[in-house]
Amino acid sequence: MESGQILTSGVGQLGTSNGEGYNPEPLPEEENVPLLDISINNVVCSFSTRCHLNLKKIAMESSNVEYHRQHGMMYMRLRRPYTTANVWSSGKITCTGAQSEDLAKVAARKFARKIQKLGYKVKFCNYRVVNVLGTCILPFAIDITKFSRQHKEASYEPELHPGVTYKIKSPKATLKIFSTGSITVTAPRVTNVQSAIEYIYPLVANFNAGPRPVKKTKSNTNNFVNKRHITQHVMSPDDDCDDESDFDGSSVDDEDFDSEVSQD
Amino acid sequence: MASTSRGRVQICCPEHPDAPLVEDYHAGDMICPECGLVVGDRVVDVGTEWRTFSNEKNTKDPSRVGAAENPLLEGGDLSTMIAIDPKDSQVDEFGKPMYRNRRTMNSADRALTNAFREISQMADRLNLPKMVSDRANTLFKQVNDTKSLKGRSNDAVCSACMYIACRQEFVPRTFKEICAVSKVSKKETGRVFKLILKTLETNVELITTGDFMSRFCSNLSLSPRIQKAATYIARKAVDLYLVPGRSPVSVAAAAIYMASQASEDKKTQKDIGDIAGVAEVTIRQAYKLMYPKAHDLFPEDFKFATPIDQLPTQ
Repeated sequence: MESGQILTSGVGQLGTSNGEGYNPEPLPEEENVPLLDISINNVVCSFSTRCHLNLKKIAMESSNVEYHRQHGMMYMRLRRPYTTANVWSSGKITCTGAQSEDLAKVAARKFARKIQKLGYKVKFCNYRVVNVLGTCILPFAIDITKFSRQHKEASYEPELHPGVTYKIKSPKATLKIFSTGSITVTAPRVTNVQSAIEYIYPLVANFNAGPRPVKKTKSNTNNFVNKRHITQHVMSPDDDCDDESDFDGSSVDDEDFDSEVSQD
Repeated sequence: MASTSRGRVQICCPEHPDAPLVEDYHAGDMICPECGLVVGDRVVDVGTEWRTFSNEKNTKDPSRVGAAENPLLEGGDLSTMIAIDPKDSQVDEFGKPMYRNRRTMNSADRALTNAFREISQMADRLNLPKMVSDRANTLFKQVNDTKSLKGRSNDAVCSACMYIACRQEFVPRTFKEICAVSKVSKKETGRVFKLILKTLETNVELITTGDFMSRFCSNLSLSPRIQKAATYIARKAVDLYLVPGRSPVSVAAAAIYMASQASEDKKTQKDIGDIAGVAEVTIRQAYKLMYPKAHDLFPEDFKFATPIDQLPTQ
C-alpha cells in the first residue's frame, strides 16, 4: 500500500521523507527547530480526453463504475491508487483521492487507459492539479479566540464552523486552524502547502494554549462518570456543526468547501 | 422691473448700487437696506397657500404631498403615479375597483421595497427595534448597489443583513433564531453572510456567552439571580479554557443548566436546548467539561439549593 507523501518541515529546515520529484533547497539548520509532519491527504486533478464518451455504454460494459443519470456524471473507481474519477460525457474527467501529485498523475493515466480499452480514441490533454489538501498536527493546542481577535483578516464563526479560516495570498492557500492544534491546508500545489504551514507556524505559536487535548474514549474516561450509567454513547449527529470534539482536522467534510472546484 | 437673474441681480438701488437687496417674500418686494427704497416688486410669493393649525387633526395636512421620503434608501421619489380616489373609484359588482393602477413603481425600487418589507417582517417576528431593521435596510441597500451578490436569492441576503445588523447593534441573534423567522436555510444564510462581509469589507465582533444570557434566561423564566450566576459561570469557563472549541451558545446553555440545577428552579437539558437551539447532547458534552471545576465556576455569593456535589454528572 503506497503511503501518502509525507513532508517533514521544520521552521527553517525543509525535507521530504519520500525523496519524490521535487527537492527544495535546504536552508541552513537552526538549533531547536521543531519538526512538523505535513501529510498530504488528497490531490484533485483534472484532464480531458478530447472525445465524446457514451457514459451509459461505458457504465454497462466496465466494472467499478456508477452512472448517475440525473447529474449526467459517471463515477469510476480504481483500487490502486485508491481514487475516484468523475467522468462527464464531454470527455472531461476529475480525479480525486490520490495521496500525492505523482500518484494523481498515475491514476489519471490509468483512468484514461481504462476508457481507451473500451475503444474510444482517448488523448491525455490538459492535465492539471486542481487542488491539494494537506493536514498538519501541531504538538500544542491553539487559543483560536485570541488568534481570531488579533488577526481580523481571518474568519471565525463558531456557529458555522469550529475552526478559523485563514486565507493567504502568497503562497495561495486556505488554512483551517482548529483549537486542538490541527491545521488543514488547501492549496493549488504541494509546495504551497509546505510554505503555508511555514508561514502560519510563527503566527500560531504565539497563541500556544498548552498540550493537545487527549480525545476521551470509553476506555480512558474514568472518575467523573459513574460506570453504571455508561450504557449507550449517544452518537446522534449534531446538526450544529459547532463542536469539534469529534472533529478531526483531517476530514474534508466541509459544506462550503468544494475540493473539486479549483482553488486557484 | 422684476429682475431676471443670470447669476447676478441686475437691479439695484439707484442711490446705493453696492447694497445687497433684501427680499420680502410676503409683500413681494425687494428693498434696499440702506434707505428702504422698494426696488423690485411683483416677486412671486413662495410662502404657503394656506395655514395649518395644530389642533386640526381630522383634516389632512394640505402642505404635505405624498408619504414621508425614504431618501437614503430608495432612488428618489420622483416618479409620477396616478392615484385612485377611494370615494369615486369605479366599482364593479362585487365591490372591487374596476380600473387598477398597474405600473405603480420604478422596477429597480421594487426589489428594494420587497426586501425592506421582508426585513421589517423579520424584525417584527424577532421583536427587534427600528434601529436594527434600519441598519439592516442600509446594509441591504449597500449590498444591492455593489451587485456582487446578484445571483443570491433576496431572502437569503435579507436574512444575512438582518444577522449582521443584530451583530453590529450589539444584540446578536444566533443563526438558528434568524432561520426560524425566515425561509432560508442556515447553510445559505451563513454563506451569504460571509460573502457580504467580504464585499462590504467589514468585520463583526466575536460573539460571547454573555450576549445570549438575558434572552435565554427570560425565555426560561429564570430569576435574575440565576441569570447572573449563569453569566458568571460561562465567562469563568471560557477564561479557564475549560471548553476550547465549543460554540459560545453551547457553553451558555450548559452554564444555564448548571446554574438552574444548583438553584430551586431546575430546568432540564431538553428545555434549555429548545430555547437556545442547541442539541441536548451538545449541552451534555459542554456540561461534562465544566462539571469537574464546578467549585471554581460558581460565584462566591451564590446560595445553593442543591450543593455542588449533588449536581447531576451529566
